[in-house]
Amino acid sequence: MIDAHIASAFDRDLEGIQALIMKMGGLVETAISDSSRALEARDSELAAVVRKNDKAIDALEEEVASEVARVIAMRAPTASDLRTVLSVMKISGNLERVGDYAKNMAKRTTVLSEMPPVNGTGASIRRMTKLVNVMMKDALDAYIQRDVELAEDVRARDTEVDQMYNALFREFLTHMMEDPRNITPCMHLHFIAKNIERMGDHVTSIAEQVIYLVTGEAPDDERDKADKTSYVGH
Amino acid sequence: MLDDLRSMERVMANDDIKITAKGVDVYYGDNHAIKDVDVDIQNRAVTAFIGPSGCGKSTFLRCLNRMNDTIDICRVTGDMLLDGQDIYAKDVDPVQLRARVGMVFQKPNPFPKSIYDNVAYGPKIHGLAKNKAELDEIVEKSLRRAAIWDEVKDRLNEPGTGLSGGQQQRLCIGRAVATAPEVLLMDEPCSALDPIATAQVEELIDELRQDYTVVIVTHSMQQAARVSQKTAFFHLGNLVEYGDTEKIFTNPEDPRTESYITGRIG
Repeated sequence: MIDAHIASAFDRDLEGIQALIMKMGGLVETAISDSSRALEARDSELAAVVRKNDKAIDALEEEVASEVARVIAMRAPTASDLRTVLSVMKISGNLERVGDYAKNMAKRTTVLSEMPPVNGTGASIRRMTKLVNVMMKDALDAYIQRDVELAEDVRARDTEVDQMYNALFREFLTHMMEDPRNITPCMHLHFIAKNIERMGDHVTSIAEQVIYLVTGEAPDDERDKADKTSYVGH
Repeated sequence: MLDDLRSMERVMANDDIKITAKGVDVYYGDNHAIKDVDVDIQNRAVTAFIGPSGCGKSTFLRCLNRMNDTIDICRVTGDMLLDGQDIYAKDVDPVQLRARVGMVFQKPNPFPKSIYDNVAYGPKIHGLAKNKAELDEIVEKSLRRAAIWDEVKDRLNEPGTGLSGGQQQRLCIGRAVATAPEVLLMDEPCSALDPIATAQVEELIDELRQDYTVVIVTHSMQQAARVSQKTAFFHLGNLVEYGDTEKIFTNPEDPRTESYITGRIG
């Protein structure tokens, strides 16, 4: 809806909570790229910054929740306004979780930087993180532009993230079987990879919220999860 | 649990049609007030008519029991069927029709008579009671239906005009149900009431839909959302959108409906 509300304060309220989401989104994007850089450079200081900054993301989520409660109580939003408010609520939850995963990655980075590096896994994790971060940026752009096509595209790209995770899973298994000394770092790296894969799921959920916001209906087709690698017992 | 209850409510809103309007046009002299409206109103459900002032929603409501007959320059064309029978047919007596299709107005308008007589008047003129005992029974039943019996049972002989606004409105609803109507039309029944009285009337409307088909005109979108199962949005004499209330308030199809219910300039 392009039209303004008759009560202009309602517009300001809605713009206000959406601005909070964009602020959160910016912090989360930074957290993802910083945690990834810290992991690759074995930089404990940068990892500490990521952990510290997560508090700001959590605080924003709380702020969104109380603003949303206020708008619902005061304005009784309906139709697209209602969907805006509901999607803001869910998206802030998704962003908060992604922030937590970045923080967890930073924690493991601190531990990993004390251990000998495992060859060949850094580049894959970096590529995967980069892919998720671009998806995040696009999902937030799709949200602000109300761009369903872009949101659908983001959803589709999550399959790629899943495939990268499955490839990494096999790679970690190989490393661990080769040399038991790799087990501890590989377990940490595996959790990191899994967390990045989960970030992708949250980004997908944001994209789905965009589709719901614009069309009024959540996409219902199940995305195909073809590769069952990580479920196969060895 | 809540989900179960809500879905039960939806099931109760069945496909049984009480009133059918087909190609209805209403003119006040040269003014084309209602333009080619088609609508099916469900039996035993609450249908809300919403729309900005002057959109024709009250005019259309008044067509449903021929209240527009009293306005000389008003002309109604098209088909208006109650249980499949044309209510504008020559052999239909509008007084009998209005006993079947009762009406409650914006301002509570009790007769300047006792509480008892307000309710007994309709049944008396329609000969619904054989004797005083039967009439007493109808009065009590109607006042109970209107959820006001406990408040007035000890002062049935006092004037109806001495009650509070909310009580007066429930008295008028009691008066409307006393003739055992099938349909109850309500034209902004809560606009002169405070929030407590409004909640009582809304609760009453929700109970009434077990037995009656209720059609309500309201300026309060939230009221429409709270009490109705179906909502019709009128704009400039057109029926823009008609559908399940839930759908209208979460994801309306027409941008004009969206603009109106979200409080935008449309």
